[in-house]
Amino acid sequence: MGSDAMQSKRTALILVLLLVASRPARAQVDVTGEWSPRVYNTHMDIGDYTGIPINEAGRLRAESWHPDQLDLPENLCRPHPIDIGLRVSVSQLRITTETDNETRQPVGLRLHVAWQEPEQVIYMDGRPQPSANAPHKWSGFSTGHWERNTLVYTTTHLKEAYLTRTGVPKSERATVTTRVHRYGNLLTIVFIINDPLYLTAPYIRASSWIFDPTQIIPPFPCEISPDGTIIAAGKVPSFMPGKNDILADFATEYGIPLEAALGGEETLYPEYIKKMKTMKVAPRTSTEHYRRAQ
Amino acid sequence: MDSRRVVLITVAALLLLSARFAAQRSAAAQAGAPGSARAAAPDDYTGYWVSEVTEKWRFRMLVPDKNDYIQVPLNPEGRRVAALWDPAKDEAGGEACRSYGAAALLQVPGRLHITWQDDNTLRLDTDSGTQTRLFRFGGSPPANEKPSWQGYSAATWGGDEPRDRRDGQGGPVQDKEGRLVVDKAQQRTADYLQVVTTRMRPGYLQKNGVPYSANAVVEEYFDVFSDPYTKNTWLGVTTMVNDPQYLIEPLIMHAHFKKLPDASGWDPTPCRANEPR
Repeated sequence: MGSDAMQSKRTALILVLLLVASRPARAQVDVTGEWSPRVYNTHMDIGDYTGIPINEAGRLRAESWHPDQLDLPENLCRPHPIDIGLRVSVSQLRITTETDNETRQPVGLRLHVAWQEPEQVIYMDGRPQPSANAPHKWSGFSTGHWERNTLVYTTTHLKEAYLTRTGVPKSERATVTTRVHRYGNLLTIVFIINDPLYLTAPYIRASSWIFDPTQIIPPFPCEISPDGTIIAAGKVPSFMPGKNDILADFATEYGIPLEAALGGEETLYPEYIKKMKTMKVAPRTSTEHYRRAQ
Repeated sequence: MDSRRVVLITVAALLLLSARFAAQRSAAAQAGAPGSARAAAPDDYTGYWVSEVTEKWRFRMLVPDKNDYIQVPLNPEGRRVAALWDPAKDEAGGEACRSYGAAALLQVPGRLHITWQDDNTLRLDTDSGTQTRLFRFGGSPPANEKPSWQGYSAATWGGDEPRDRRDGQGGPVQDKEGRLVVDKAQQRTADYLQVVTTRMRPGYLQKNGVPYSANAVVEEYFDVFSDPYTKNTWLGVTTMVNDPQYLIEPLIMHAHFKKLPDASGWDPTPCRANEPR
């Protein structure tokens, strides 16, 4: 190999360096700071699975859920998984830069949510995924990258939990792709939940926060009552299949066909409005049920 | 390897990569005159889209009961006006389009058809209520613009602010004449559609008569993305309604739409005061 070859390689190297230098700068919008929630929650009723592409297995699990389960000692201080905490509780949010303890170099971002204080680190330093057998946590394991000005991260290794506060399940095999958009002082987070066990399609929903640099997030102390204090010791409240006698209450109260209230992918699309007109609706006893929550 | 071949292969690779990076600027390789909004589009918003109603389902797929506004930060005056809702009166009075105005149109389940009307006007048609919105780039509402259901929508490609006013990475600097200018190297790339709508006729935020006033200002942010699971393309919209006349704080709503290959399912309806769409 002579000097020509060396020259050629040098030229190639220079061209590559020029290309790298000419790439648009990575558009890392600053999403750190204090964010005040503007979350308008739904799915607060038993039997309200509306808008969820739930499958039969998910519906069966949801129907067996009893609201008294929330009062079991092991559930009293149980945090939401991070993606659910950001969506179903109206929670203040703090985003900070996560740095390596030794090098002090940034490795990603850290989310802190007020309710039950879950924390989530989004690693952006290219580290590999943990083993599929690694422990699952409330915060899961998240790796992220920038797509232009949007932070996109994927969370795996989440514990089994739920999609709503009323028992619609989410399995430990679920993964969540999250997109964080900053529009001036408005932060919108879009959650795309994929659960091969309980959903037939990705479930997409979004929440927004307003930039609030003076926000103070108070501590969230939580104390567990001894076993037997609220629910009789040894009892796990639940409904056996087909025996949930409050399942239809939501549908009846709001004049919705029961089948529609129990969700499913078909119910998400405009065509379903016509179909609902052909379905049976239980007689309503009132048109003012919304008042109990208003 | 022959040294010339090394250079040739490298140059070819560079050209291909450069083309890819250029395509990131305008993923859809939009046509349009140089300098036009269409040519600068960061994404392809055109095509047919269908609502996927995963949020506020009972408020959107049904007509909610009168006074059911649990999701809306109404002030006392807003509540008073919401209690006056009378769909039959709206139909009879030619006001059936009140729930299809710009502030709430994208909450109504249905299909969208988005096209470029010209190089600086993006047009959005809906089958529900058969409405048309025009997103005008580079303009402001004429002084004599009459209020309408869809109002006047001023559009920009958002996100190209100087990097960054808060993170110390730069920002505007003074030029020789003392004017503030932005170093292009410090400028982020636009990546979403921002629309500000004013001059609307008074309308409804929900089908059940929850009001917004003629003074309302609607800010919207449109993003195109694909989900990694189905590879479907989605249009996400965040809407913020500012209306001190009826709201105690801005109302923020979300909607998302799945891209469709064609017009199948397009089902035009007239404005209907007592139907979900």
